[in-house]
Amino acid sequence: MPRYWQDIQPGEQFTTALASLSKQDILEFAAEFDPQPYHLDSEAAEASIFGGLCASGWQVSAIMMRLLTDALHQQEIPVIGMSSVPKMRWKKPVFAGDTLSAEITVKGREATARQPGAGSLDLDVRVFNQAQEPVIELATRLMIALGANANVA
Amino acid sequence: MSLKPYIRSRWFEDIPIGEFHVFGSHTFSELEAIEFGRRYSPEIYHTDPTGAWDTPYRGLVICGWHLTATWMKLMVGYMENFASGVQDGRRNGAGMGVEDLEWYLPVRPGHTITFTYEVTEKPERVVRNRWGIIRSRNEAFNQYGDRVMSFTIDILAERNPAGAG
Repeated sequence: MPRYWQDIQPGEQFTTALASLSKQDILEFAAEFDPQPYHLDSEAAEASIFGGLCASGWQVSAIMMRLLTDALHQQEIPVIGMSSVPKMRWKKPVFAGDTLSAEITVKGREATARQPGAGSLDLDVRVFNQAQEPVIELATRLMIALGANANVA
Repeated sequence: MSLKPYIRSRWFEDIPIGEFHVFGSHTFSELEAIEFGRRYSPEIYHTDPTGAWDTPYRGLVICGWHLTATWMKLMVGYMENFASGVQDGRRNGAGMGVEDLEWYLPVRPGHTITFTYEVTEKPERVVRNRWGIIRSRNEAFNQYGDRVMSFTIDILAERNPAGAG
């Protein structure tokens, strides 16, 4: 049964599935969107601030979106999109072979959103690597469909 | 004398607040929208041109993270172009974090998005004894001149070991 905006309360938490990142994944994303030496070349990466070949921060953000999308779909929550990210921090580099997962906490909600027919959920999202170190943390506002019987008063 | 400002090779101290650049434009194709959506945000409104008509967007829209990744692509291309010939290059690059990222309007396949960048602040903080922070305001506009996205990002720039000149 679908869970609409009005069915979700602040305090609710979701844990996501795992996503592994290969060297090939890192190189492919970097070649298309972020062709800098520390995302493309192991030797240059070792001499860089990151200390090794690592994923573009924007790829990590995109993987976060995939983990979040899959977790909410599993709950049958109709996601209408993301409207904002008030704050996002890249905490640690993500290296080839790392496995990521995320924890999502609902912090608040509002009955309106940028898209008609949707309400907003304010979420805290933390993505961890396999050593349970945070690699990215963000606060975000997500749009969720209002059910037919939504009490938006 | 070269007229090219070697943007990537400058020290933190040499990057002025108020500097403004237009990184360029990108026209999103339906195919690239669907590929990105399938991989990172598998929603009908990103992946299925027919099914997307029955969603609130009434058609395919570009994933917001595809827009930010494209901002990165155009920034790197722009900076590398200006930095061509610089061997020691790249005194800056790594991103720390983002604030106030907003997606205002749907972007659709066929739309042409133009990305702008302005240095707004140089916070005093020194990172690992070596790096300064360049804070910039970034905006993206569609072909009608409507703003579709904006954000602030902190990017590291190496400080001049000799100190400010």
